[in-house]
Amino acid sequence: MSLLRCSLLSFALALTATAAPLPELFQERLKSVVAVEFFIQTEIERQPVTVLGTVIDDAGTVILPGAAIMPSVAPGQLRDFKIYRPGGTESAAATYLGQDAFTGWHFVRIEEKGRTGLVPVTHWQAMQADPALSDELWGIGLRNKDEDFQPYFLSSRVAIMMNLPQKTVVLGSDVAGPGLPVFNAAGELAGLAQPSFGQNFLMFSRNQRGSPVVLVNVEESSVVLLASEVLPHLGRVPKSVTGRPIAWFGAYGLQPMDPEVAKLLKLENQSGVVVSDIMKSSPAEQAGLQERDIILAIDGQPLPRLKPDRIVVSYFGQQILRRLPGDALNLSVLRGTTRVELKLKLGDEPKLVREADRRYFEKLGLTVREFLYNDGIIHRASPGTTEGVMVHFIKPGSAVATAGLRSDDWVREIDGVAIKSYTQATEMLAAIEADQHRAEFVLLVSRGGETQVLRVKLN
Amino acid sequence: MSRGFNRLLDAVVRIDVREIEFNDGAKRITGGVGSGVIISNDGLVLTNAHVVSPQAVEISVTLASLERINAKLVGWDHWTDLALLRIDLEAIKSRRLSFAVADFGDSDDLFVGQTVFAVGTPHGLTRTVTRGIISNNNRYFEDSRGVNGYETGAFNTWLQTDAAINPGNSGGPLVTEDGKVVGINSRGYVGADNLGFAIPAKVARTVAATLVKEGAVTRSYAGIGFRELQDLERFYALSANTGVLVANVDVGSPAAKAGLRAGDVVLTLSGRKVDGRFPEQLPPIQQSIASLPVGATVKVGAKRGDQVVELSVVTEKLESRVGEEWAFEKWGLTVRKVSRAYARENQLADATGVVVLGVQPGYPAAEAGLARGDIITKVGSNTIAELARLKELYAGYESKPEPQLVEAQRNRRISLYVIKP
Repeated sequence: MSLLRCSLLSFALALTATAAPLPELFQERLKSVVAVEFFIQTEIERQPVTVLGTVIDDAGTVILPGAAIMPSVAPGQLRDFKIYRPGGTESAAATYLGQDAFTGWHFVRIEEKGRTGLVPVTHWQAMQADPALSDELWGIGLRNKDEDFQPYFLSSRVAIMMNLPQKTVVLGSDVAGPGLPVFNAAGELAGLAQPSFGQNFLMFSRNQRGSPVVLVNVEESSVVLLASEVLPHLGRVPKSVTGRPIAWFGAYGLQPMDPEVAKLLKLENQSGVVVSDIMKSSPAEQAGLQERDIILAIDGQPLPRLKPDRIVVSYFGQQILRRLPGDALNLSVLRGTTRVELKLKLGDEPKLVREADRRYFEKLGLTVREFLYNDGIIHRASPGTTEGVMVHFIKPGSAVATAGLRSDDWVREIDGVAIKSYTQATEMLAAIEADQHRAEFVLLVSRGGETQVLRVKLN
Repeated sequence: MSRGFNRLLDAVVRIDVREIEFNDGAKRITGGVGSGVIISNDGLVLTNAHVVSPQAVEISVTLASLERINAKLVGWDHWTDLALLRIDLEAIKSRRLSFAVADFGDSDDLFVGQTVFAVGTPHGLTRTVTRGIISNNNRYFEDSRGVNGYETGAFNTWLQTDAAINPGNSGGPLVTEDGKVVGINSRGYVGADNLGFAIPAKVARTVAATLVKEGAVTRSYAGIGFRELQDLERFYALSANTGVLVANVDVGSPAAKAGLRAGDVVLTLSGRKVDGRFPEQLPPIQQSIASLPVGATVKVGAKRGDQVVELSVVTEKLESRVGEEWAFEKWGLTVRKVSRAYARENQLADATGVVVLGVQPGYPAAEAGLARGDIITKVGSNTIAELARLKELYAGYESKPEPQLVEAQRNRRISLYVIKP
């Protein structure tokens, strides 16, 4: 009896204190990581993209870093998602589920037959307490496709802890591929590696003596978002490929309040964001927020002081995005020298570029898309205007390129006819494209507040 | 050479200028060399606006006799890139110096292929004569920042020559074989060979006459951006030799108020037919508006689709895009007033504020975080509508240095800064 108890005790010890040797843990944890390959289909080419992802549930859901896909890319342009296992040559198909506005993560789901042998990262015990200074953490890196995404081991010690605004640790050197999980010596989940920070270097060459350059390692990272900031949000799988619903506040150009400014305004130990521009008919305007207001608190919670100063702007943005359209919000703002309390009801984010209707006219050489609410801000158009269309893409060397049309031009008239809607524009362009005898057409475009008449010669 | 040519050589001068520059957060004096030509017995010297500007603090003219004499700026016009100086006649008298006066020729009589000479001080090489021909006598060459950031070339065409024109030739005369001044050399294409441009004597004489009297040329502004029709006549269903395209109408300008729109084709101006099919036809059209008195009414007949509309545009005074510059030395800050044209270019709501030209590292403005290109709109609770307002506030700071709350915009983002003593 006593013998048995003794052996049980030693077994328990092995699990908690010494755990399995790292090479074994490494092999096991590999089951939670994948390489994801896909294409971005543009008008004239397919751009291959390879990123790293972490498996988060038994349904084969994988999260990818937000930076993996540019915001202007429409979901329809994302093609042929393929999942590779570390060291593997076989791929499994996957579907794109969308991007979550709050975390920024992109979600993909692996087809059923490809899920065998995968283990969600939530299967591994998370660290009870946040990692402390000098704790050793380790993670996984994956080589490139030509090396079959061969996994390799990385480890380093915690150098600093920061709130950016989420709890993040930076290690002394790279610890994992961005997007992949990081563990402690016991194999407990410490967090998720983020895209790495830029590092300042001096570059010496035969002609130049020490010119400063910033280098960013895209394959490995030393920045880790802690598990306590990751795990609560894994359930934010987008309900639609657009990522909606997305809460809308409606102010533009939020700037952090400088600590010196805070001191001068007698707001020591306070933080705030300065509002530059209020969008017309937005929730912010309806609530009575004004340009130059300084937002000091949300629902009575003062904005925290974060370093660097600009992090408070991300903090504020996240406070909006973690809420839903229709949610109510109380703001405390400083207007001049008086404190004002405002009640605000969040709206629904206006249509984003990635959601806009667009159409490519191959013979003419351009893609046009709907004029959106947000375009109106850049072009200082009256709110809600749907006049004209935006040039989204110009094919190099095409008729419109030769005529001097550029992407982001705002087309106001085609052949002297004012464009009142997207449909009208696409119909006119389609008719021009279909007309074999057409020698030219004329566009009136707006660019940086000035208009230009461009003449497009065809054939 | 002819006697006339020799006389001309005696009328060409070298000009050394020291002027204030506000670029790096401090007032600095920079130097430059150019050329000029004496055009009257009372010592008027014609040169380029980009050689001598109103920011000049010291102008020194070297006569053909190699005597140096001081000069003062009489008038300045960046639109035609012309400046008029007067040499110190007292000194001429007391030092018993003499100079020759150049004669003007008729620039309208020039023909392409005619031999011409450029006289000046290229790269500081005094009294250099180069020879070439008139390559084109009616060249359109507009540049919105051509004269040290100021607009130029909208109201005149240029003489193009292959006579070598290098930096330092600026302001010197372009002359015929008999020594008659037919142009003022002013620009070359950067990186090109033998593509030089001169202001026609006809323009130079008219502008010089105004500058003597008024020191500046007042022009009318309508806010119409004309473009040549060039082959678009058919598209706009126009009869031959008529019309000029309106490519842009400045926001808030007299033309915009009158209802003119981009895409319209102007057929008549105050009843006179306009023909703007080619770029070199644009400056005379623009000049026909600019030469009107400020506040004049221009009747614009324009074609819009199938209709012809008649609009009345009441002109305003034409302003430069470059506003007044100033240095606030204790702050290590140099600024330029936002002009209406600058506000328009940058889609600002109005001309409030001053643009930061530069900050000096380590000084209060730089320490506060201000940087080149920021637009300072408020200091404390004071809106900076005029540069004078900022000067006042700065004077207050100088007598009693206290932290100042500064509001500035960068790419339409408003930030607050503190300038601390």
